[in-house]
Amino acid sequence: MADETAVPAAAPHASKSEAVALLFGVAGWLVPGLGHALQKMWGRAVACLLTIGLLVFVGAKMRGNLFSSSGNDAFDSLGYIADLGTGSFYLVAKSLEKDGADVSHADGDYGTRFLATAGVLNLLAALHAYEAARGRKA
Amino acid sequence: MIAEFGLRLSHLQAMLLFAIVISIAFGFLGRRRPADRVKYILWSLFLFLLVGVGIGWAMYPFSR
Repeated sequence: MADETAVPAAAPHASKSEAVALLFGVAGWLVPGLGHALQKMWGRAVACLLTIGLLVFVGAKMRGNLFSSSGNDAFDSLGYIADLGTGSFYLVAKSLEKDGADVSHADGDYGTRFLATAGVLNLLAALHAYEAARGRKA
Repeated sequence: MIAEFGLRLSHLQAMLLFAIVISIAFGFLGRRRPADRVKYILWSLFLFLLVGVGIGWAMYPFSR
């Protein structure tokens, strides 16, 4: 009798497509929209690039808080993870915020939310690109 | 609107901008056909604004 708990060896084709899907996901994280662009999903690619780019630009111009790795508490660390979600746009936001963050007024506080939302939205888009490359209906 | 201290938006402008941008992203990621996307974007935008304004009014009695 065959061992029902045995896991069949994965086909080389499946592992290759999984690696490609992962590559698309990482590309989508690094540059918003790139994961979709590589799959020729142009509408989604442009939408991701523009919406995430706009959120980062507005958030940085409103002098939102861009968290760094040297956070003091769990909220700072979570904020840093969210901000890192924008991939390369984290550096763009940093370069736009020449004078640093200013959360002493409402604009800066809104800017912080805009930056964090851009990161989380980009992570969602990268996950979507990964799932689409794996063949999930998207 | 853009001064030396940066971009200044009112509460309503910030909420509108946030709702529009997120609705567009959700519409493009969540739906495939253009007509479905437009419907989803409009519905999502409506709900964002409804919840935003609703929470604003719910907080009004405690604002002073």
